[in-house]
Amino acid sequence: MNLGPGVDALARFLAGPEPAWWASALAACIVWLGPLLLIVLPIAALGQIIERKVAAAMQRRHGPNTAGLDGLVRFLVRCLCWFLPRATQERLTARLCRLPGMQLARRLGLGQLVADGIKMLGKEDLIPGNADGWVFRLAPYLAMCGALLPFAAIPFGQHLVALEVPVAALYVAAAGGLTVIALFMAGWGSGNKFSLLGGMRAVAQVVSYEIPVGLAIAGVVLWCGSMDLQRIVASQYNAHWASFLGWNFFQSPFLALLAVILFVAGLAECQRTPFDMAEAESELVSGFNTEYSGLRWGLFAMAEYAEMFLVGAIIATLFLGGYQSPFGEPAIIALPAWLAALIHALMLTLKASALLFVMVWLRWTLPRLRVDQVMRLCWITLVPLALLALFGVALTMLAAGSVAPGSAYGRIPALPELHLTPLAHALAWVLPVAIAALLIVLARRQHGRLHPDLARLSGAGR
Amino acid sequence: MSSDLLIENQHGERMRLSMGPQHPATHGVLRLLIDSDGEVVSRAVPDQGYLHRAIEKIGECVEWAQFVPYTDRIDYVCAMNANLAYCVAVEALLNSDPATAVRVPRRAECLRVIVAELNRISSHLIAVGAMAMDLGAYTPFLHGLAQREAVNDIFEKLCGQRLTYNYVTIGGVAFDLYPGAEQEIASFLDRFEEEFRRFNQLITNNRIFRERCAGVAPVSAEEAIAWGLVGPNLRASGVDWDIRRDEPYGIYGELGVRVPVGRGYAGARGRVGDCYDRYVVRLLEIEESVRLIREALRLLPPKADKPSDPLGGHQADVGKQLRKPPRGEVRVRTEAPRGEMGYVIVSDGGKQPYRVRCRTGSFSAVGIFEHLMRGIFLADIVTIIGSFDIVVPEIDR
Repeated sequence: MNLGPGVDALARFLAGPEPAWWASALAACIVWLGPLLLIVLPIAALGQIIERKVAAAMQRRHGPNTAGLDGLVRFLVRCLCWFLPRATQERLTARLCRLPGMQLARRLGLGQLVADGIKMLGKEDLIPGNADGWVFRLAPYLAMCGALLPFAAIPFGQHLVALEVPVAALYVAAAGGLTVIALFMAGWGSGNKFSLLGGMRAVAQVVSYEIPVGLAIAGVVLWCGSMDLQRIVASQYNAHWASFLGWNFFQSPFLALLAVILFVAGLAECQRTPFDMAEAESELVSGFNTEYSGLRWGLFAMAEYAEMFLVGAIIATLFLGGYQSPFGEPAIIALPAWLAALIHALMLTLKASALLFVMVWLRWTLPRLRVDQVMRLCWITLVPLALLALFGVALTMLAAGSVAPGSAYGRIPALPELHLTPLAHALAWVLPVAIAALLIVLARRQHGRLHPDLARLSGAGR
Repeated sequence: MSSDLLIENQHGERMRLSMGPQHPATHGVLRLLIDSDGEVVSRAVPDQGYLHRAIEKIGECVEWAQFVPYTDRIDYVCAMNANLAYCVAVEALLNSDPATAVRVPRRAECLRVIVAELNRISSHLIAVGAMAMDLGAYTPFLHGLAQREAVNDIFEKLCGQRLTYNYVTIGGVAFDLYPGAEQEIASFLDRFEEEFRRFNQLITNNRIFRERCAGVAPVSAEEAIAWGLVGPNLRASGVDWDIRRDEPYGIYGELGVRVPVGRGYAGARGRVGDCYDRYVVRLLEIEESVRLIREALRLLPPKADKPSDPLGGHQADVGKQLRKPPRGEVRVRTEAPRGEMGYVIVSDGGKQPYRVRCRTGSFSAVGIFEHLMRGIFLADIVTIIGSFDIVVPEIDR
């Protein structure tokens, strides 16, 4: 089987030079689960705490939790050292709790994570009387699948990808679309009108926003000449020490625009403010997950953060150089493979986490759009804009008389280089930006000025 | 799956949605019965009475001065103004007979303006913050609440309470200012102005927020008068009417209150009297309250040496008058943050009121809901509730 060099190497390691299909599948699972268990799930679990801490900082308060891990340590000591006298156990606990890491845990409120987990597991699993039994039960697991399956095709390193298929970009978009089915199942199965409304909103919104997402991905596919995410990442390689210059985001203003569109549409896809129609706690109480409790609710919450991380990872992969480091990438690929893989996985995590942070930041800043405004934003603003950007990408490539730039990764067949003279490159940036700025100024003028009272209220006149 | 969940529009059937009494956006225990066709509301009927505590009946059962703490509970978000309304009404009753006339010390009048306007600020902060929260912006609410906390700190030092103050009494106020209070209030106002500016930068001029409110549920001036809207809700429709200026009580006549009205602040999409106007009018009133407090601090006469001195003290002795008040009926209205708070008091000359009737802003606001909530989006319902700034005990009493 040919599942990419990384997986194949692992399969050969497991089952000899000609591995059976099961060995390949096992190897793919290992490569998929590795980053999942080590990176994605911890971040999804930490999501709650990240969200709370960011919100607290923005609202100038301490945050909801300052619980440390002391209680857990005492519990573990009691369990593991039950044979020791109680006084010794206490002394041991005290010594362990004085370790510097424990202080940090207290500062960050990590104990809350443990407490939340235990609480969630211990809670009564309520199923409403008129719920649609199996639909209701299945939904959270399906949501989790929708959030985790796409990670199989996201490259965390040069060989760290479980599913190296030529249509990886398509696969990621398709597998990510599972979540909306889960949301609708939850909305329908709960037997609650508020949940049903939430589910309906989710479907309408996610299906609409698939289009700008698809167009944004299409732009990158066009530019790189491949749907293979591994190749898309490789094509963003730049031998300069400032390797971020090779990233798609900096190649053309149209690609940058597509990145922004993908981010906005991605926000809508994971139902985050300002697009949290499906949850809308002030309108629909909690929308699709009103009736969920305990572990099922926890799965929905984790799926939300995993999906946010996924959106971050997709944007990073398509536009921000994927797992490549912004500086000194040539030096990193010269390192031993395991070290390079480690650094690469860390880089992708950092990029996706930074985008996740922006999503949290936006959530605590912006109000929520109304249903019609969400639709209008998609169909009247984002889709035409994405089409325009796609057209611009094609035009830029036509003007340069070339397709994707080559790569130093070696596995990419030689493609004609994109030859842009500095003047042409500058023009390719300046012209579209100037036109956009002009349009924005005109729109502002037409929109009218702020009333003087409002300007005074926000201190603009000072 | 129960069949009542289906929305069968083509057969003219509607989904009946019960919003409240336990719902995060109904500001307490208001209940709305909504007939909706999916996202579009065809009809919404408010259902009140979940917080009825017979406060007006209690008024007939306690002595004149004992009713003041109950007025706190009529509108707990601006208890000072609620105290003030009742006390001003009882004073008017006493003044209707020269034998029982009461003269409120000037220092007390200034203190009443200071606390009433401070409470107006904190009440409006809840109103605009909660409206932003209803629209999904949580952070502005907490920033507003932080400032309300500062006001509560001042009130706590002043009278020992943070929510239900029982501070304004018949004939004056319960306590004089604590040492250093003037400086503390002045420095709070300076800090507050800066924070208020930041609050507005964060939410008021936010494009999403404005688009959510612009043109939603506009109330014309004629409609507003016909439905009996009062206070900021009335002024947002462009009606220039404020009791503090047009029927002044206390020392408001000397302060020259400036009255903001709605002007279609939301711009191109907005209309006069829409949700955004109701929101902005409250912000402009906060601005005016800051000015009034500064003015009242300037007019504040110095503390008297003897606390019992009726001219410099903080309270006139009305114990004797209240034991035998004049017979008769008075109607007095004051400007509370949620609009006119008026009292109709009937006295039979006894130690207790014969009848206490209270008229409140939220009650008249909730009356227009059914009229406005037709053919709007479900999400607009919370915008409308937020923009009218209802406090449920005011509706139910």
